[in-house]
Parts: sequence; C-alpha cells; structure tokens
Amino acid sequence: MRRSHLLATAAGLALACAPLAAHAQFAPAGSGGPPSATIPGPGNADEPKENTPPNSSYFAGPSPYAPQAPGVNAANLPDIESIDASQVPAMAPQQSANPSREDWPAYGRDDKATRYSPLTELNPETVKRLEPAFVYHTGSYPRPGQTNKWAAETTPIKVGDGLYMCSAQNDIMKLDPATGKEIWRRNLGVKYESIPYTAACKGVTYFTSSVVPEGEPCHNRILEGTLDMRLVAVDAATGAFCPAFGHNGQVNLMQGLGESVPGFVAMTAPPPVVNGVVVVNHEVLDGQRRWAPSGVVRGYDAESGKFVWAWDVGNPDDHNQPTGNRHYSRGTPNSWATMTGDNEQGLVYVPTGNSAGDYFSGLRSPAENAVSTSVVALDVKTGSPRWVYQTTRKDVWDYDMGSQVTMMDMPGSDGTPTPALIVPTKRGQTFVLDRQTGKPILPVEERPAPAGNVPGDSRAPTQPWSVGMPALRMPELKEKDMWGMSPIDQLYCRIKFRSAHYDGEFTAPSLDKPWIMYPGNNGGSDWGSMSYDPNTGILVANWNASPMYAQLITRKKADALGLMPIDDPNYKPGAGAAEGNGPMEGTPYAIAIAPFWDPVTKMLCHRPPYGMITAIDMKHGQKVLWQHPLGTARANGPWGLPTGLSWEIGTPNNGGSVVTAGGLIFIAAATDNLIRAIDEHTGKVVWSAVLPGGGQANPMTYEANGHQYVAIMAGGHHFMMTPITDQLVVYALPDAIKH
Amino acid sequence: MPVTNGNRTLTEWLTLLLGVVILLVGLFFLIAGADLAMLGGSTYYALCGIILVASGVFMLMGRTLGAFLYLGALAYTWVWSLWEVGFSPVDLLPRAFGPTILGILVALTIPVLRRMESRRTLRGAV
Repeated sequence: MRRSHLLATAAGLALACAPLAAHAQFAPAGSGGPPSATIPGPGNADEPKENTPPNSSYFAGPSPYAPQAPGVNAANLPDIESIDASQVPAMAPQQSANPSREDWPAYGRDDKATRYSPLTELNPETVKRLEPAFVYHTGSYPRPGQTNKWAAETTPIKVGDGLYMCSAQNDIMKLDPATGKEIWRRNLGVKYESIPYTAACKGVTYFTSSVVPEGEPCHNRILEGTLDMRLVAVDAATGAFCPAFGHNGQVNLMQGLGESVPGFVAMTAPPPVVNGVVVVNHEVLDGQRRWAPSGVVRGYDAESGKFVWAWDVGNPDDHNQPTGNRHYSRGTPNSWATMTGDNEQGLVYVPTGNSAGDYFSGLRSPAENAVSTSVVALDVKTGSPRWVYQTTRKDVWDYDMGSQVTMMDMPGSDGTPTPALIVPTKRGQTFVLDRQTGKPILPVEERPAPAGNVPGDSRAPTQPWSVGMPALRMPELKEKDMWGMSPIDQLYCRIKFRSAHYDGEFTAPSLDKPWIMYPGNNGGSDWGSMSYDPNTGILVANWNASPMYAQLITRKKADALGLMPIDDPNYKPGAGAAEGNGPMEGTPYAIAIAPFWDPVTKMLCHRPPYGMITAIDMKHGQKVLWQHPLGTARANGPWGLPTGLSWEIGTPNNGGSVVTAGGLIFIAAATDNLIRAIDEHTGKVVWSAVLPGGGQANPMTYEANGHQYVAIMAGGHHFMMTPITDQLVVYALPDAIKH
Repeated sequence: MPVTNGNRTLTEWLTLLLGVVILLVGLFFLIAGADLAMLGGSTYYALCGIILVASGVFMLMGRTLGAFLYLGALAYTWVWSLWEVGFSPVDLLPRAFGPTILGILVALTIPVLRRMESRRTLRGAV
C-alpha cells in the first residue's frame, strides 16, 4: 500500500514537472540570433543620469550630406563606366520566359514567379515512394569561433544538364541534376565579416547573351549578387568568369554608396534581368542609424556589366552614378526581397522596406514616405517609378516587403483577363494589382489607424486593407489568448500582455511602456513568397502569426545598454545586432525588441498555431479552399527541447512552396525540419521526410533522365533555431535512383 | 509506541513537500494575480491564489482541510477555464492540465493527512 503510494507520487511529480506542451521557438540570447533583448517595461525607457556611462568615444557616423570616403570594395575592383539605356543590346529570349517542362530556370521558376511546375510523375499516389536521391554539401557553415548567422535559404535553378546554386557565402556551383556530382565550382572568397544579419544566398540568375554567339564561353551565364556587394557573371558551362562583364566578370556594387563597413549592406536575392538590364537591390542592416547607406536600386547592362541607371529616392531626377566623393542619398528605404521582372511592360517590381531607423518616422522625407513598404514598378529604361503601390503608410513596424511578387492573369467580369500582380505582405494582407497601372483589382479599404504616442513623430490616419482577399492573419490578441505550459507562465504572459499598449495591428510605438506588434515583422508572408497554379487557379500561401514585443528607449538608456551601430569603432557583435535591439543612431530613440514570449521557457506568449498554410481559389471569388496549421511539435518544446509529438501545432515557418501539375505542393519551411508533400486540392499531407537541418528555403522540382526530382536546401536558420547544415537534399522515386 | 514528530514516513514528507509547492504556487498566483487584476486583467488568479495559500498552509499543518481546499480550487479552475475558453483542448492545456495533475497527487495525500490528523488526536488524548 505504502509502496504504491510512493510510486504514484513520484510518477505524478515527474509528470507535472516534465515539459508537456509543445511550442514554437526562436534563437536564444547571446551568440547568434537576436541579442538578449530585455524589454525595459513600463516607466523604464529612460536611465537616471548617474547610470549613464561617460560618452568618451561617441561616434556620430557619417553626415548624410558631407562628401565621404567609399566603403569596402571586397575585390578591389575599379569603378564601372556608365552607358545610356539606349545602348543596352536587345535581349535574347530567356529560358525563364517559357521554361522547358523539365527545367526550373529562375528563382520563382518562370518570369512570372509562379513556382509552378508542369511535372506530373509525382502525384498524391506516387509521392509516397519518394526517397533521397543525393545530398550535396556546399561547404558553408559556421566554423568554431564564429557566431551562428547562417540561413542559406538557397533555391537551385535547373537548366538543361545543370543544377546551378550558390553556397550561403556565395560560392557558385553547377551540379549534375541526376547524381548531384559537382561539375564546376567558382569560389568567391566572401569573408565571414561580410555576413550581415544572415549568411544567405537565395539563388542565382541564368542569362543567355544576345552578343556572345552560341557555343562560345559566356553565351549562357550565371549572374549572382554577393554578401560583400559584388555583381558576378560566370560562364554556365565552365564556371569561368566572363571577361567581357564588368572587370573580368565582376562589378563593385559599393561604388557610390559612401561610407560603410562589411556586413552593413549585402545582397542575398537573385537579381532579375529585364530587357537586358540586370537589376540589383540590397539589404541594409535594420535599426543601426538614421543615415545608414542608401537603399538605391540600380540597373546594369547584363552583357557588359556597365552601369545604366540608379533609382535613388533622395535624388529622384538624377539617375547617374555619383562622381567623386558624392554618394547616393543615405537612409532611404531599402529593398532586400527578390524582385520580379516584366519584359512585356518593361518594368521591374521592387518590394521596398522602410527607411533606416525603422521605428521612428519623424525624420523621414516626403519622398521616402511615398515609396516605403510598397511595390514600386520601375521602368527598366529610365530607372523612374511608373507606379507605386503602398501597403503600409509611414511604416514603424518593420512591415518591409519580404515576398517576391507573382504575376498572373486575373479573369475580369467580362471574361477578359487583366495582367495582375499578387503582392503578399507581412501584414497578411495580400493585394492584387493591375500591373499596368498599379491600381488594385480587388477592393481595398482605407481604415482608420491609431494616433502616435511619441513626440516628434506622427502616424498615418488610415491604412489600406485588402478586403477582397482572405486575410492571412489571426484575430486580434486578447488576454485569454495567452498560453503556456502551466497557469504560471500563462499568468506571466497575461501580465506582459496587459503591461503593453495594444490597439490592434497599427498600435503606435511607445516610450512609456512596451507595445505589441501583431502580426509584426515575423508575421504574414515573408520571403518564401507564394506559389500559383495557373491551371487550377490555386494560390498557395504559408504564413506566420508571431507577435513582437518592443519599446522605444531614450538615447541615455541605449548608451547604458551599450547599443551602438555596426559602423561604430567600438561595436561588438551581439551588443546591438540587427533585428534585435537597435541603436537607431541619429533618431531621438533606440529600440528594444524581442519576440512576444516567455524569455525563460522561450515559448511564445500566445496560443498556437504560429504558422499556417492556406490555399486560395483565385478563379472563383478568392475563397479559402483549405487552411491548416503548418509544422508539427516534433522538434520544438519548452526550453528548446524537442517533444517528438506529431501534433500539427503550427510552428513559425520561413521559406515557400512549390505547386505542380501532379496536384502536389512541396513545402518545408516549418521548424519541425520536415519536408512534406500536400495534396493541392484537399490540403492533406500525403508524404513527409525528416531533413538533416532546418528546411528554411524554397524547394524546387525538375526532371532529369526522364524522372522528377525535388530539391530542398536544408540549411537551417539561426533565428528560427533550426539545425544549420550545408546540405542540399534531393528526392526522387526509386526508379530514378537505381542507376 | 507512539510515533513522534521527528519520525515521519516518506509519504508524509512528500505530502509536506506538496504543501510547500501549493503554497508557493498560491503565493505567486496571489501576488502576480493581484498585479494582473490591477492592470485590468482576469481576477481568477488572485482569488484562486487565496484558496491555494490556505490549502498549502493547512497541508503543512497536516490538516485534511488543506487537500479539500485544493480540490475546491481545482473545481473553481475547471469552471473558470470552461467559462473562458470552452472545451478547446489547446486552451485547456495551460489552464487545467497542470492543476489537475497536482489534484491527483493531492487526492493521494488525503489518507496520509488523515493518518497525521488521527495521530495528533491520539497524542492529544494521551
């Protein structure tokens, strides 16, 4: 009797103490991922004077107006000359304009960025027999002593006999698509110091020259933008630099950017080529200073690498390269997402972010406010916007546009299709625009937004809501949505919720107490973008519901916390890295920001699901066909412990989907490290496999030797806390693998 | 021969430990719950905290009343949880799961507490 009591008591205690609930996770504080962001809390945004360290080493940063020295030039390349747009040779037909059935010749597969493949060997029945065909190691992963900033995010492209891809640090390689054997590799020597927020290389661009005859080197080229700001062109057949492009195959993209340090600006997305002009954008590290390097977008001749135009928001009428010590206007909105080219309209669709100094808008110019957090359709002949569509006005929530926009034909009421653009946002509002005019095709409502809380800054009175499309967001948070393993952490989160300003999606930044950003900068649709099946009219979107918790702090408090921008000589990585706490030097305030979580258990404060996947029928009234949580709890748990549960809790996810004529959707993205095939019509998961690392990348599919393959970079993601690897994993049916 | 206070059995020690756990949880509920209520949030935690503190104190005194108070708090927890979120398993998990596990342990202590009580009564009679 006594013994059984004892056993029951012990077992019960063990059960009660065991981590029982699954949850989502983000990177821990300290090395890698967001720095230890302690949100000061109500009334603590300032620091008493006596606690402020003497500011002996104050580094003001370059003035936005004074002439300044050029930034890092990684390969010591000479300046590039300019040519007039009229001298850009007419473009040859590109593979991505009308891809071969078995190919995937561009990041989004085709010029429209549909991520749709016509392959049918894999269907809901055959996919169940899918097996790993080969694994390729890129060689890029954190070495001992290096902070984990890795998330390769790579999607290979496939043209003919080659699978072309890049490593997280920009080495380019061609693989045999059937065996994964390396055919050539071009190392570019990108240094660890050049890694900005993330070591990522989303992909490379395949370009066919109209100047170099077929059969000669560099008739077909691979173009790539690097983390250390080079535009590189190599021969697709051999990997040799293209001598006629730039300076022996390279162009220094730091030209004209003014003062900078490695890791401040970087390219992570494949540059599109539109009517012979290769268009480059770049990310600028968030939260550093108001006068960070420019977010300029530039066009270069894809044949010669020569400069054609610049779109500099601060100098809208000057499309030339700055000369001497002049530079592009600093602090302007940058664009880090993958752009989409439209040869027919002669436009490139540029998804923009907000101006530098992300959470304070009081110092932004009207020109910046007109183009931030928008889709900007630039004329590739002139570099001038033809139209701009803004998705968030005066953005202080970091709702920068992460998704590549997708082109489609929208059936009109009279049957004639309108050339349309699907514009996903972090808000989960998906806008559908006429790509000739930028006007919404589906209804958009202007709804009132809350006023500001901070002196010297004001909020836009209204914000646009795309009411014609299903919203990819959860209802607004309530206290009872707070979650946890037990009533104890739930109570903690309830207090945290009640201690903050929360007035819906557009709650204004505040100094007196924290504010909640929901969906926030990890919410809605991000760089994974959407996939669209033009035959069924099904649009596939995976999205996040993970709020952020932030507070503005005074400069004194920021100094006491040791926040300094990356270009400060005393800067220490981790003390104020991007995406976490940021000094926002040059504005009156700094930012303290972290996920809305319990910092002890690392569990998000609100109830799951945190990640979802939705299929929308675009041809019949934009109705939701199916929607369910994405990601199981198998690799997640309190304190980062895996629970092993197959419960589809819906985890945060990063990376997109592929849709095929076989009726399948391939997607990894979630933090459960699975890749899965989903039946396009029912939403049912019909196959899944465990990846060696996090599948935070867009998968792709192609055919080789008559068989269909599915490739996913299992590179992991530092912020999502998934295992980092350098492995590209490719799956096929056993029939394809046997030889 | 009567058992003295210094000669407790293991189950009695575990019962007292459970009492300590309930007292600590109760104090956290009471203090943080009062904070939450003052911020305009739910009053459940503060009210439940009062019962839990009483429960913990009585259990440490070796009184069966402590266990019954906990079971009362558990009943309150279930009624409140169902009122707040209905029969949604995901939402019941943080509210009712842990307290119910503790409740099972508390129920198991009732015979132990009874024994402790009767011993005291016995000693009192001697």
